[in-house]
Amino acid sequence: MAAAVQLPMQMDPLFLSLSFFRRRKHEECVDVCTKMLQKNPYDQSAWCLKTRALTEQVYVDEVDVDEEGIAEMLMDDNAVAQLPRPGTSLKKPGTGAGGGPTPGVRPMSQAGRPVSGFVRPGTQSGRPGTMEQAIRTPRTAQTARPVTSASGRYVRLGTASMLAQPDGPFINISKLNLSKYAQRPNLAKPLFEYIFHHENDVRNALELASRATEEAQFKDWWWKVQLAKCYYRLGMYRDSEKQLKSALRDTETVDTYLYLGKVYRRLDQPLTAIETYKKGLEKFSGETTLMTGIARIHEELYDMNNAVKLYKEVLHYDNTHVEAIACIATNHFYTDQPEIALRFYRRLLQMGVYNSELFNNLGLCCFYAQQYDMTLNCFERALALASDETMPDVWYNIGHVALGIGDMALAYQCFRLALASQNDHAEAYNNLGVLEMRKGHNDQARAFLQAAASLSSVMYEPHYNHALLSFKIGDLQSSYSSANKAMEGYPDHSDSQQLLKQLKEDFSAL
Amino acid sequence: PAKRSEAPKRRGKVPDLPVFERRNWLIHMHYVRKEFDKCKVLIKEQLFETQYMCEYALYAQALILRQEGKIQESLDLFQQTVKINPFNADNLKQVARSLFLLARHKAALEVYNEAAKLSSKDWEIYHNQGVCYLYLKDFEKAKDCLKHAIQYHRHDASFLQLGKIYLMEGDIESAIDTYKKAIEFSPENPDLMTTLGLLYLQIGMTQRAFEYLGNAMTYDPSHVKAILGAGSMIQTHGDFDVALTKYRIAASKIPESPHMWNNIGMCFFGKKKYVAAISCLKRAAYMAPFEWIIIYNLGLIHLTMQQYASAFHFLSAAITLKPKHGQLFQLLAIALTHLDDHDNAKQAYEQAIMLDIDDPAISLNYAIFLYNMEDRKQASRHFAAYEKKMEVFRKTKGGDIEREILETGNRLGPALQVGEKLVWDAEAKTTRIP
Repeated sequence: MAAAVQLPMQMDPLFLSLSFFRRRKHEECVDVCTKMLQKNPYDQSAWCLKTRALTEQVYVDEVDVDEEGIAEMLMDDNAVAQLPRPGTSLKKPGTGAGGGPTPGVRPMSQAGRPVSGFVRPGTQSGRPGTMEQAIRTPRTAQTARPVTSASGRYVRLGTASMLAQPDGPFINISKLNLSKYAQRPNLAKPLFEYIFHHENDVRNALELASRATEEAQFKDWWWKVQLAKCYYRLGMYRDSEKQLKSALRDTETVDTYLYLGKVYRRLDQPLTAIETYKKGLEKFSGETTLMTGIARIHEELYDMNNAVKLYKEVLHYDNTHVEAIACIATNHFYTDQPEIALRFYRRLLQMGVYNSELFNNLGLCCFYAQQYDMTLNCFERALALASDETMPDVWYNIGHVALGIGDMALAYQCFRLALASQNDHAEAYNNLGVLEMRKGHNDQARAFLQAAASLSSVMYEPHYNHALLSFKIGDLQSSYSSANKAMEGYPDHSDSQQLLKQLKEDFSAL
Repeated sequence: PAKRSEAPKRRGKVPDLPVFERRNWLIHMHYVRKEFDKCKVLIKEQLFETQYMCEYALYAQALILRQEGKIQESLDLFQQTVKINPFNADNLKQVARSLFLLARHKAALEVYNEAAKLSSKDWEIYHNQGVCYLYLKDFEKAKDCLKHAIQYHRHDASFLQLGKIYLMEGDIESAIDTYKKAIEFSPENPDLMTTLGLLYLQIGMTQRAFEYLGNAMTYDPSHVKAILGAGSMIQTHGDFDVALTKYRIAASKIPESPHMWNNIGMCFFGKKKYVAAISCLKRAAYMAPFEWIIIYNLGLIHLTMQQYASAFHFLSAAITLKPKHGQLFQLLAIALTHLDDHDNAKQAYEQAIMLDIDDPAISLNYAIFLYNMEDRKQASRHFAAYEKKMEVFRKTKGGDIEREILETGNRLGPALQVGEKLVWDAEAKTTRIP
């Protein structure tokens, strides 16, 4: 009788928590499970469900988490060929072989790659050459997030999971008898995911996985893939490759192909990766993730023609693919077709993407496609939505619009504002330098250009401008060194070549 | 300085070379073959043997450093050679040259003066002094020095610098004379010919200009400047296809030159391929946002395409970049007329007439505009102005009058009394010369 008063018309807690879990209300699910476990500590279903709910809270798809810390970029040496032929390596891509726009048209990221249309966590825009260089360059120059010494996201995930649990961790892994759990596949799988994704304890996860796969007589492809994931995290790429290939022999899944491609990318074998993806496409024809994988690799090899072709194919199957739309739009914008770029970006807007970057791009496209009624509205929207990171870029672009209508004073103010919100904005410094040069303030201009050149060593514009300025006042030594740096950033720049030729004549003349 | 020791005399026994200058000939040999690495090793040995007292080794080292762009270091070395041998004009000249390359023009002048005391009648010293004066903006002295230099020894570089001074002063006639003399002296230099051709183009002597540019292209078929100049002349005569083939040669060499894309765009405009023209011009404008002529051309094309909003936008941008230009205001007024802003159009016409007093087309367009506004009195006044300007124009330029303007004028004449339907026109604008 007393029990009936305590729980009037209560749903079965296990059913309730399962329902919560299905509806992705993970916190409520965890709460109900905790209560159930308090009542009965040996309730395995509750334990299993809580494990899964906790994992789902912090789950990040492993395929897209591809971050390289400074250490992985510089210290480890997995690439087979040290001096690969151009076009066969991600580290030294062929220069503009695919007919992409030159640096004179398409701006470069700070690490010397053409800016991409879509930033992913795995986006590496070039690699630093030495440790010193890596530490000196801005923290977000190579990847989409600040670089740490080792892959930072994993560390942060681990600590975050601790915070989420005020009364200590849910499972104390060191006390678990992993071999016992490995014998029970229904418990082992959630436990593995928990250890791997929630606790980020790769070693224990690996141990569990290896025992479990032994129990399964090496017949369960899932365990093989998990083993490969662990090996990948630990940097043992060849072992990872072996497991993935063996998994593919058992059962072919899209995920496995994606992992294998990822391993080959890390081994710096882009052509093998493309082949893997293509093999996957033969099995799963029309799978967009595989096509996107190929397109990304083409883009990283600067082979824009093929990349765009594949992105278009992706759109054929999935016409709301944000990455494909954005990349195609960017490519159109920089190949003198802002009208078409505008249509692609408008498509993104129709799909409900609503952020500062999109409005910024829309504003630029509107301006260059001569849709003057929409230009400033878009930029206003972009400013309203802008975070601290995008604000300088929006102002910088408004400055370009001001240049387009010939309003130098407004342009000057805009570039200043861009600097005010981000004081290491190299492009803004460069443009300010040019504006000062036009006014005839040579000293100011020199200061701005030098600031720009020191902030971004791969951008060729400040170096060339500085060389030109020095040449005009007769300081040929500075001119020579700056022109040489400009050539490093953009070897085919005809104006720099001409300037260097002139300088060399002056030096050799008696 | 010590090159004399190169050729040993074969008489009797081998002469006893002084130890300091022992291997100068070898160093010199490597230097003139541009084998700088071997040269440096030799120099190092030589300098070590002689405790940095070998003049020629220091001198060669400094020259190499200068060719590598390390001017400051080369200056230090040249100063050492001066210390070793203060009575050698060459050493002083090199010190001055290094100072000059470091933009210390006043100091360079002083050193050149000292060098001149040691060796008079040296064209190099005069030439370099002239260039220094040029950087210090003292044109009179610079001209004097360069003329002296030419007297002692005629040299391309002196002519070039002298021509540059005349151009900076705005004296095109003298500049042309200078360049002509230069070409007499070295008739196979395409750079000189191109410059001369472009100068002739500037003063309107197209036949001569074409001759020189053509010559330049025969010596160097891919000389970009000559191609652009000749292309723009061919374009003025209406042979757009020929001009385009010329530009195609240049396009592989300078794919990102805004001037070339501007000219290509205007070629397409002439062939009535407006969309292609716009895309070429927009590419040019993307690469050179400060060039008013590109923006002006864009405005002109959009007027032709009857896209008046864009035309207004481009023209007003061009006006902010180049405020004192009558034609710009005229086109702006036309754009404004079609945007139904008659007050501003009127003001723009007034401005255009004020800024450009010779062009009959402005007056004609204004007259048409006023006529359409039904202000007959003012219209006939400006029509009279147009006729007067036309007379002057006919006298000075001869037959170079656009037929379209004449026809429109002839139609407006009677219309001002009778009333007839009208069309506006904008005359095709020729392109610029880079």
